[in-house]
This record gives sequence, structure tokens and C-alpha cells, in this order.
Amino acid sequence: MNIVIVDYGMGNIKSVVSALKYTGAKNIIVSSDYNKLLSADKLILPGVGAFGQAMLSIKEKNIDKHLQEIVLHKKTPIMGICLGMQLLGSSSTEDGINEGLGFVDGVVRKFSIKNIRVPHVGFNQVKINENSKLYEGFPDEADFYFTHSYRMTSDKSIIQSMCTYENDFVASFEFENIVGTQFHPELSQYNGLNLFKNFLKKF
Amino acid sequence: MLRKRIIFTLIYSQGFFMLSRNFRLQKVGDLNWLERNYKFQKIAVSIDELIVLNATKENKSIKEFANIVSSLVNDVFIPIAAGGGIKSVEDAEILFNNGADKIVLNSLLVENPKMITQLVQKYGSQSIVACIDYKNINGVNEVYIQDGTKKVDMELEDYIRYVVGLDIGEVYLNSIDKDGTGFGYDLETIKRVEKKISVPLIIAGGAGNESHLIEGLSNDGVSAVATANLFNFVGNGLPNARIKVLESGLNIANWNVNN
Repeated sequence: MNIVIVDYGMGNIKSVVSALKYTGAKNIIVSSDYNKLLSADKLILPGVGAFGQAMLSIKEKNIDKHLQEIVLHKKTPIMGICLGMQLLGSSSTEDGINEGLGFVDGVVRKFSIKNIRVPHVGFNQVKINENSKLYEGFPDEADFYFTHSYRMTSDKSIIQSMCTYENDFVASFEFENIVGTQFHPELSQYNGLNLFKNFLKKF
Repeated sequence: MLRKRIIFTLIYSQGFFMLSRNFRLQKVGDLNWLERNYKFQKIAVSIDELIVLNATKENKSIKEFANIVSSLVNDVFIPIAAGGGIKSVEDAEILFNNGADKIVLNSLLVENPKMITQLVQKYGSQSIVACIDYKNINGVNEVYIQDGTKKVDMELEDYIRYVVGLDIGEVYLNSIDKDGTGFGYDLETIKRVEKKISVPLIIAGGAGNESHLIEGLSNDGVSAVATANLFNFVGNGLPNARIKVLESGLNIANWNVNN
């Protein structure tokens, strides 16, 4: 199985690579090259940093066009992590209003700072959607590691599992072949490793 | 509900991991010593995060330090924050590329606030931990940078306001007086400032046993407790401490720590 981590020059890819290796994955490639992306059986879109800057560097490398073809038409499964998940949505209000890749219906906004501390940092429980494949074998609520100031909401059904921090937000979605997790599976101990295994096996 | 966190801090200097007491450093052991006494692949389930600080006094080398960070993170699937001597976006990038999920900043907060803005823009607030070292002199909490050697011209509460205003993601509040004593956290100061901090607050300095961790975490405004005491938590120290904290009813993630 070819796993390609989409490289647009942001964030710590090392921990994602080593978590995937630990689950037994063999061919892990980090690249933004069209042919490499096309050869992937699974794609991972990682990301730490600011939304606007990430979209700029994705567009600069034509990754948006490549992914449109490979994810939307060829239907290669993709998993976005943290900012990578948010980029799969329609838009974000980070640094003004920025359009995302628009593969799923989801809007990203900042947490309101009134009664809570922002960023939202630490382990929190995810209420698992009953139609989920990603969490097969997990108990009803499982802990995952979050660290973010912006969060996604969606009024469409994208098989979202929710997390609560003041209000509910999308912790993960599983829209056909397009998966996203707001939390970091690679920093979530065994829960995260099991989640990667499910993504590789069931999508 | 968001869980609270237990963080283990490693203090590194010129090839060795150190015990710090009131910021005076004592060599404990090298990477081999650490691996023998703290098998992170095994005990990682008893901590929520690892922080690694480079306390080398002169000529801190980011590349050498990045190699240490990189060798610590293999097969350990928890967040790692690293800092000490970061002077530029390139320095930060070297640490991120070597396995750091967050960076810890101290002197730069005072010396180059513009650089903080750049780092926040590039990596996001949540990637940046502001380390604040302070000590009490005649009833006033004074803030220090450069490994506790240079006084900042602001009292602690004003400094906290200044630092949070730089849009950093978390505050690591470290009492130099309590550092390495094992007498417990500086709860007096913590209780006074916790409500005024709008970002997650990590407290450090003074934890000697699990009851100190419990005392610290019992404060509403404390998001995480950190300990850097290499001797007090050796062997099964960290797993046992986590069990005690869980038994006390505090809201931390419940892994099977004996796994």
C-alpha cells in the first residue's frame, strides 16, 4: 500500500510518519509531486499553522488541482489532520475570509474566548457517530489530543463525530472517501494508532 | 470535557540531562541514562506531554539540541514541546522538522516581540508556549530571562498580560524559588494569577511527589502541571503518580498506565 503524505511545507510530519510506520505501513512517501500523489492508495493531509498561508502554498504548488482530480474523481481516500482537516472544508475566518479546498461542507471559525481558554489544548472526548467506520472497535467516547484555536461546524450530514468545548464542534468527519480529524491521532497514544489502522483498512 | 494534563520536563545541557535547583544545574545522566531510567515508549501513557528544554548556558546549538529531541521522539506518540535558545524562524523550523510539535520561548519574548508575531503567523498560536521564570524578591514577583540571569523590567502580573498579548498559545509558569526543591508548587502566586490568564496555564517548579501534582491540578485555572524532577519520578514514579492523580478524582485522561 502506498501512503502519500501531502507535503506543502508546513508542520511536523515526523510524528505522522512514525505513527503510520508503527501501525505497520511500509511505503510512506512525503511529496507534493503529481505522479506521486496519483500513485497513492491513501493520502494524508497534515498541517500545523495558519489557514491562509497553507492555502497559498497549496495553490502555489497546484496541489489543489491535483487533489481535486485524485480525491474527487479518482476517489482516493484522504485523511486531513488538524489544519489539514480544516483545509478540506469550505472556508475559514482565520486571517480574513479564506476559501478552503471545499471537498466537504464545513465552516471554520475561531472559538469565542468568553468563558473558555483558547487554544483548546489537551485530551478531550469524542462522541462517536453511529455510522462511523473510523472508530470501529472504540468505546462510545474516546480521548484524543487536540490543540487548536479554530474549529469546524457543519449543518450538513458528513458523518461527523463531535467534541464539546463550550459548544459542540466537528472532531472528525467521514464523507465518502474524505476523512478529517481535528485532533492529532499521531499524538493520541494507542487511540490514535488504532484510528490510523482503521483509516488504512476501512477506507 | 477537556482533561487536565501531566507534563514531564527534561532539562538538557551539553550532552546531559540535568537536575535543576533554583536554576543551578547538576548533571544526572546522558541519553543512555535517560533511556535506562525513563523508558518513554513504556511510560508515555503516564504523561500527556513531554517538554525538552536546552539550558546550556553559553553557545546553545540548535542543531545539536534538535538531534537530542529527534532521538527522544521515536515511537513515542505524545506531543513534544522543545525550546531553549530559539532566536529565529529558522531555529524554530529546525526543531519542528526534528519532531517538536510545539516550541517553548523565553528570552525572545522580551528581546524580539516582532519575531513572536512572525512565529505565530507561520505556526499558529497553539504551537507556541511562553515560558515565564519568576522569583520573589522582597514580596515582589520579578521576571527573569536568559536562564534566570537577566531581570525583566516588569512585575509578573504585568508581564503575563504582555506575553498573552503577543498571542502565544500557552503559558509555562515556572517559580525559580521552588524549582527543584520538591516542596510543592508556588500556590500563592498561582491562585493570584490563574484567573487572569486567558490561555491554558502550565505550572512548574516544586513538585516533589504526586500530592503536589494533585494540589496543583485542583486549581480551576491550572490546565497542566509539570515536573522536571528526574530523581523523584524514576522507574515507576510517573505511572504511579498518574494512578494517584486519577484516584483523587481529578479529570485527566485515563489510559491503562500499567499497560
